[in-house]
Amino acid sequence: MLKINKNVVLALLSLTSLVFLLFQLYYYKFYVSQKNGAVFSKVRGSQSGQDSTRWHVVRKFLGLISSHNIQVYLIDPLILGLVDKDIEQIRSSPDGPSPECKYFCAPREFTTFALLDKTWKHEAGLFRTAEKMGFQWLKIINKDPRLDGMDDLSGIEIPLHYIFKLTSHAIHLVVFYERSGNYLWHGPLRLKQHTDRKFVPFRKLHFGRYPGAYEKPELLPVSIDDLKVQIPKNPSDFLEEMSHSRFLECRYREARTFFQLYPDDASLDAVEFRKKAKSLLHLAALTLNNLGVKFWLSSGTCLGWYRQCNVIPHSKDVDLGVFIRDYKADIIPAFQKAGLPLKHKFGKVEDSLELSFQGEDDVKLETFFLYEEDDHIWNGGTQAKSGKKFKYLFPKFTLCWTEFVELKVHVPCETLQYVEANYGPDWKVPVKTWDWKTSPSNVQYNGVWPVDEWDNVIQIY
Amino acid sequence: MDEWKPNPAVKPHKKRSWYLAWKYKLMNQRALRKLCQTGAVLFLLVTVIVNIKLILDTRRAAYEEEEESAQDYDDEMLNVEVPRHPVSNKKVLDVEVYSSRSKVYVAVDGTTVLEDEAREQGRGIHVIVLNQATGHVMAKRVFDTYSPHEDEAMVLFLNMVARGRILIFTIKDEGSFHLKDTAKNVLKSLGSQVAPFLSWRDMWTFVGKKGGEVYGEKHAKSPALSTWGDPVLLKTEVHLTSVEDAECHWPDTELNRRRKRFCSKVEGYGSVCSCKDPTPIEFNPDPLKDNKVFDVPVAVIAGNRPNYLYRMLRSLLSAQGVNPQMITVFIDGYYEEPMDVVELFGLSGIQHTPISIKNARVSQHYKASLTATFNLFPDAKFAVVLEEDLDISVDFFSFLSQSIHLLEEDESLYCISAWNDQGYEHTAEDPSLLYRVETMPGLGWVLRKSLYKDELEPKWPTPEKLWDWDMWMRMPEQRKGRECIIPDISRSYHFGIVGLNMNGYFHEAYFKKHKFNTVPNVQLKNVESLRKDAYETEIHRLLGEAEVLDHSKNPCEDSFVPDTEGRVYVMFIRMEQEADFTTWTQLAKCLHIWDLDVRGNHKGLWRLFRKKNHFLVVGVPASPYSSKKPSSVTPIYLEPPAKEEGVVAVPAVPAAEQT
Repeated sequence: MLKINKNVVLALLSLTSLVFLLFQLYYYKFYVSQKNGAVFSKVRGSQSGQDSTRWHVVRKFLGLISSHNIQVYLIDPLILGLVDKDIEQIRSSPDGPSPECKYFCAPREFTTFALLDKTWKHEAGLFRTAEKMGFQWLKIINKDPRLDGMDDLSGIEIPLHYIFKLTSHAIHLVVFYERSGNYLWHGPLRLKQHTDRKFVPFRKLHFGRYPGAYEKPELLPVSIDDLKVQIPKNPSDFLEEMSHSRFLECRYREARTFFQLYPDDASLDAVEFRKKAKSLLHLAALTLNNLGVKFWLSSGTCLGWYRQCNVIPHSKDVDLGVFIRDYKADIIPAFQKAGLPLKHKFGKVEDSLELSFQGEDDVKLETFFLYEEDDHIWNGGTQAKSGKKFKYLFPKFTLCWTEFVELKVHVPCETLQYVEANYGPDWKVPVKTWDWKTSPSNVQYNGVWPVDEWDNVIQIY
Repeated sequence: MDEWKPNPAVKPHKKRSWYLAWKYKLMNQRALRKLCQTGAVLFLLVTVIVNIKLILDTRRAAYEEEEESAQDYDDEMLNVEVPRHPVSNKKVLDVEVYSSRSKVYVAVDGTTVLEDEAREQGRGIHVIVLNQATGHVMAKRVFDTYSPHEDEAMVLFLNMVARGRILIFTIKDEGSFHLKDTAKNVLKSLGSQVAPFLSWRDMWTFVGKKGGEVYGEKHAKSPALSTWGDPVLLKTEVHLTSVEDAECHWPDTELNRRRKRFCSKVEGYGSVCSCKDPTPIEFNPDPLKDNKVFDVPVAVIAGNRPNYLYRMLRSLLSAQGVNPQMITVFIDGYYEEPMDVVELFGLSGIQHTPISIKNARVSQHYKASLTATFNLFPDAKFAVVLEEDLDISVDFFSFLSQSIHLLEEDESLYCISAWNDQGYEHTAEDPSLLYRVETMPGLGWVLRKSLYKDELEPKWPTPEKLWDWDMWMRMPEQRKGRECIIPDISRSYHFGIVGLNMNGYFHEAYFKKHKFNTVPNVQLKNVESLRKDAYETEIHRLLGEAEVLDHSKNPCEDSFVPDTEGRVYVMFIRMEQEADFTTWTQLAKCLHIWDLDVRGNHKGLWRLFRKKNHFLVVGVPASPYSSKKPSSVTPIYLEPPAKEEGVVAVPAVPAAEQT
């Protein structure tokens, strides 16, 4: 009998542990799906009660906002994505009643709206009303970046994000600020020490991981799911802009340290050069933006931004980078039309293209075209008298927005690697004599242009 | 047991036999059995391990998520909580007050809140006001009652302090010489027994509650005229009341919440903190129709003169067409009280770490404030620049709204200013009249962004240069021949008496009698004729109709101008070249207008009013308008006084009027 029991016990144990194992596996899968968001939300979203909750929360929030005469607009990527599919229909009948709750009931944990800072007066009354309506709210403040570049100003922290929570749904209100360079900026979402980390799952917010820069949007008042809201006129453009909106603040503190070590050149020549470089950069940005050519600050101009948040007065030119895939034949005539004649053209579209335009009083605009390879990016250089070719190698990078001389421009997000590739580890030390053929630490000799091609690849005006 | 065998047992038997057979079989295959058992045990072990691993994995994943979110969204700056001053929890305060010839100090609970042992400074009665509930210092003043009129200021101040506050008095050096009976009676009414008998070089300390008990008083009589009383040290205890008792019960509104915060922190602002019928802190002046300066940012440049700032902001917020959202107050230094004033009015304020000293500090503060203004309002084409010691005219914004388009369109303009350097009570008359002048008056002015960003900001004097920013802006390298537009009657009034380049005498002589417009909605005339070329036509027309005065008379005498009204007169003075202002300076001196440097000129022409007549002064032959001089007239020449005299006549104060 004992022996029988032993076997039975063994079998039973095996069975329970198998069941337990299966349960664990199921739970693990459940957990993973929750972590990835979508699957889990769907599980909850399929309950119709949940659907209308979201719609109700949004409706209440819009009521709250309009009762205080505050203008907000919808920037929720999920809803804008859905709206974009039916955009023609929504545009043509902006007031039409909708048969079903198609957008605001879509499964999600947040609805994101934008608020332009200058359109409201920071009245505390809004929050009192919100509390009366049952909202819990959280305000995220931080330093004002518009004053960050200034020596020793303090005093204001500005609200960057608000979160209004009601039952299981939350409204994320992103505050946009207008900044020098005619663009909108929103701040990163950083929690202070005593904030409630479990208030909402912050990681799932669509805005706030990084600061972002946007053009001022054109708005379209629409009625969707029987709610009147403003949306960006072209949702798909907005969504595209959003995916490349990451903004880098200039390193003002480091720049100040730099100027303590190497005092700024305040001579009249330096002031004049900076003024010209600034207006040249503004003109170039206008021209390239009109053509839809994406560009970024390169070489010395990028170094100036990264190291000292200003134009390097002894740099003598303005350097831009453009991916060769963005090259357009209209670039040269467009610059010419803007009053910047072509000074020289080296290389060709297939290889080592470099354009140089003549700005006011000897200030040149150098445009380098970058060629992408599997593991690096490079641009070419050509010595006019010998036809020698050079190659400058960079690690791959993505583009971020920044503000420079009152302009919203691109810089490589991985700026340090970019600058170090170009100027070596000693980039922090100003160098006045610079030879573009030997000084850069990423230069490689790249042969000589065949003599019969010279007429094409070395054009000097 | 052998005979009786129940039938039903057959089946189990059969089953049992099957089982036994199977068991037997197994028994026979021992190895297989063992194998099965080991397999099961192994399986068990494996599931246990897998289970543990899964549990660990899930926990780690959950932990990581938390970590990650914390890393992503944590503020890199750790806000270390500063431990609060323990005063708030205590019921009793220890107060120590010291009075002597060369030193005074006051310590509250061991913290020194006043210490003054500087030589030749801080003479008189020092007064400190404490909050009766928290023990915080709400005001600190010193009244030099050795000098005349200071006791009146002290009475004014003491009357403004709310009932229930704790007052601490101490004398440094001498405080009785000009302490009149009125003041002594006020001190007596506070409970002081010594005050009525305070005399020459007595030392005195007193702690009491306004309208309540006396916590202590000590006094040391001066034995002789030439000596001081012995130092006195008063140690006493003050019982704190509850916060509710120390506050007024205003209706709970947004405005009153601001008021409450302000009134619990500072004292000396009069009826703003009065429990019954407090003075408003929101003014809601009439909006302006077609206001062109509604979106123009206003930068208020401030130092540590919170009472000035309070007066200034009141007048600014009462001006028609003001937009409080565009106002930013820039405070030079980390002073609390000016910030409290800013918050009282619900405005935004920014503090600036002082850089450099004296004039250069002011200059750096201006630069930071202007840069910050254009950063905060990137859309703005202009900024209005104000200082904390100015009253703002009710039609200030109306004046700017009507004239600002000139600054945008006319390249030859440098600024629009609300201040006429020569606009005194007796020399300004017409609120609707504007001038073009070659000097930059400041004191409430509009700056064009392009001028600042492209020209001024890059070359702004560096901290080591001890320059006045306004003097620098007036230099020809900066001004480049451009002019400013000013009104005949100023739209600002400079009331500051304490300041870097300012003292009572100087203020009395040059600022007190300045004319200030109080008429709302003045419709400006001749705005279009202020454009560069139109203005010349206008001047020529004026000179054409002007009557030439009798040049044989003394221009300093009142009879020089006939007793008429509304006429236009012209006089010619000698002015050998563009920079020859010898006669003008003498004329300005005897007319009692600004004579410390040359202001208000336009191509050798000055425009002002005398006896309600428009009065033009042309410098011959330097001015291009000299051609209007009839050949029979000899330009008047006034001799400058002899050197020594000149030194006496001109006060030893730099010509700048700023702060």
